[in-house]
Amino acid sequence: MSSRRSIRSLPALALVASGAILLAGCAPSDGDAAATGEPVEGGTLVYASGDAEPTCLDPHVGGNYPQALIAGQFLESLVSLDEDGEVIPWLATQWTASDDGLTWDFTLRDDVSFTDGTPLNAEAVKVNVEHLQNPDTQSSTGYLALGKVASVEAVSDTVARFHLTVPDSALLESLSQPWTAIESPAGIARGMDENCAAPIGTGPFVVDGWVPQDHVSLVRNDDYDSGPADRAHEGAAYLDGIEWRFIPDSASRYAALQAGEVDVIDNAQPDTLDQASKTGTLVEIDAPRPGASNRIELNSGQAPFDDVRVREAFIRAVDVNDGIDALFFGTAARSFSVLSSVEPLAYSDDALFGTDLDAAEALLDEAGWTERDADGIRSKDGVPLTLRFPVSTNQSIPAEQSLFEQVQATAKQAGFDVQLEPVDLSSWYGALAAHEYELVSAPYTKVGPDVLRILYHSDSITPAPSGYFANLAQLDDPDLDALLTAAASESDPDARASLYEQAQQIILGGFYALPLYDQQNHFLHSPKLQGARAMPTVSTPTFADAWLAD
Amino acid sequence: MPRSRVLRRVALRLAGAVFVLWAVATLTFFAIHLVPGDPAQAILGGPGSQASQEALDRVRADYGLDQPLLVQYAAMLGRLLSGDLGDSYALKTPVAGLIGGQILGTLVLALLALVVAWVLAVALALWSTSAGRAGRAIAGGLELTAAALPHFWLATVLIAVFSTALGWLPPVSNDAASGLVLPVVTLAVPLAGFLAQLMREQMLQALEEPFAVSAAARGETAAGLRFRHALRHAALPAINLSGWAVGYLISGAVVVETVFARPGLGRTLLRATELRDVPVVVGVVLVVALVYVLMTIATDVVSRLADPRTTHSGGAT
Repeated sequence: MSSRRSIRSLPALALVASGAILLAGCAPSDGDAAATGEPVEGGTLVYASGDAEPTCLDPHVGGNYPQALIAGQFLESLVSLDEDGEVIPWLATQWTASDDGLTWDFTLRDDVSFTDGTPLNAEAVKVNVEHLQNPDTQSSTGYLALGKVASVEAVSDTVARFHLTVPDSALLESLSQPWTAIESPAGIARGMDENCAAPIGTGPFVVDGWVPQDHVSLVRNDDYDSGPADRAHEGAAYLDGIEWRFIPDSASRYAALQAGEVDVIDNAQPDTLDQASKTGTLVEIDAPRPGASNRIELNSGQAPFDDVRVREAFIRAVDVNDGIDALFFGTAARSFSVLSSVEPLAYSDDALFGTDLDAAEALLDEAGWTERDADGIRSKDGVPLTLRFPVSTNQSIPAEQSLFEQVQATAKQAGFDVQLEPVDLSSWYGALAAHEYELVSAPYTKVGPDVLRILYHSDSITPAPSGYFANLAQLDDPDLDALLTAAASESDPDARASLYEQAQQIILGGFYALPLYDQQNHFLHSPKLQGARAMPTVSTPTFADAWLAD
Repeated sequence: MPRSRVLRRVALRLAGAVFVLWAVATLTFFAIHLVPGDPAQAILGGPGSQASQEALDRVRADYGLDQPLLVQYAAMLGRLLSGDLGDSYALKTPVAGLIGGQILGTLVLALLALVVAWVLAVALALWSTSAGRAGRAIAGGLELTAAALPHFWLATVLIAVFSTALGWLPPVSNDAASGLVLPVVTLAVPLAGFLAQLMREQMLQALEEPFAVSAAARGETAAGLRFRHALRHAALPAINLSGWAVGYLISGAVVVETVFARPGLGRTLLRATELRDVPVVVGVVLVVALVYVLMTIATDVVSRLADPRTTHSGGAT
């Protein structure tokens, strides 16, 4: 961050003013503890989330990112990932798969209890999987992740045996996610209402109370000693607790951080990050989400993008590089992959995405879009070259919405009429379900490359208008389906990597998507907070090793 | 006023109120269904969760979302008539409890803003009517500007000035009273603009009236004239406007509660609308309509008390 520090007169003035207030208002923040990095016990961390307030704190129910953010503070999973993306032990110490890949034995830690006193054992794992697979739970993300698990058998107290219907090379990645975390069976047995209000796990904190639209109180689990294998220290957390606040407005959230009302904010926007880097004191955690990158999908299921020449013409015509640089203040790097850069198997090919207006025009002429109206919009047989682009204002941040306006402007030069339709989330789902789109940008967070199967396998296309579906490019290619299906069952790591590379070559080479950048996930915190990190699984923050320096 | 006329008047008022509530519930119900969107998605976790087709179908059947719209509407009316606001789709809890938990914060915010707006408006009106032509021009400019200020912009500027730059007040609400200052001011300033404009015009008019001229002839001071006579005259339309103002303030609360991260009905409504959580949207809108109806009745009573003519002349308004 300090490398981008630059002094301009006005911000510098504000910096001096706020520095004076800080000095007058509180003791010097760079005390001995901060200098030596010696952990300090106690204190309540105030976290300000800009994500939607969950309607249920149990991530088994539904299963979205806001739930994952907070659930990571009180729930734990069977396995985790280290910084290199390798699977490491968490509640399970080891695991073995049978030769046919249909049976997996997970050995559990024998010294862990849930915070209600219920012991963690194989029976508890079985109850959790059954809870996720029970339609009454209304799980979507966890349910999909465990789609190949037929049943779980408690072989002994410490060995849980997973029986699969087909081999699943993504099983460990699926189990590392917060949406499949392990909860107390007694907690689950209380029923959905109670469990949604305060799920019971084995994590470093315990849900103590929830004031809707305001905050969730978390208190330290004094008996905690079961972190993932790469945890920085043993035993209970240093913090007394966390006040998990919901502050939806981005500017207010940053103002609260500056005023010292909160210690950490999530969803820091590009302009905020730019301002924060100039303060020189606030600390940034940049943790791109795993799974898919942010990309614009081209709906190949209907005209005009059922013609590969029109898809390529769009990609040649649209220039996003300058827009990304300017609108994101250098906080987001351009991606040329449909997978997140944190995915070890991400395949990237920038050569496919060069812009060339002449080439775009030639492709459109060749494809028969030769007539042009007074505005330069092309048409073919009287049908204008219109691209409907519903934009979810809940999911696309303002910088991204501005970027889409630049997409619109550059595409117009080649004769595309991009119709941006900013809508709220429900209308957006509605437009997609009705197939009323040619372009769309939809985030998808999941650990591992199996996300490709969800996003680009033809099974993920649902005929309109029955509901949401994930294959928004409507990519229907038997060769690709075969590769993705084979990869999902392939236990050999090298063979698996090769299959996913071939699959990504088909997706990128067919111009089904225009990759933009990783799913942005920036946190800002005060220099007082030390030892915080983002989990290498789904990039949610963890405070199990964090402390507030005096 | 004869007793039967009072009863008839009360009955008419009640019938009017019931009609307003029915119309509001009906309009809201159909408006939210006109916009494309799928409550089943909200029920299954909303943003980011990718519900399976089976799960969606099951939820639609469970909640009757697969029924024709008129059947759903009839079911809702039946429920409302029995006094049941239903359960939230997203939160799976009773709407009445949800509103009960949030209404106080919004009412406190709206009423404080109303009081502050009145104080600001009265002060500005009293000052500007005595400050001559220049004063009136300045006041007129201030009122117009204030009335036109969008809540969102004002809130952002107030935070930038009073919390980020000066560090005097918290940018987001907290348990302390200091957290209320910026939200209340944000809501009060534009309203004060409206009220002051109305009062100043009325006061200037009143000062020209024969009663003011004769009071001045009796030796009433200029200040006393404005305070004891003209202000009372000018307050009447402003009081009548206060019923509307409460509706205006509650709609402003949607923005203010979001920016200042205050719990309340405004944020509840915003979130429920995004999620197509129909029972919550209808419930909140009904409660706001009820508050509006009650405020209109209350302002009616207050204006009768403030205006001696209405009590003597037998209730003509």
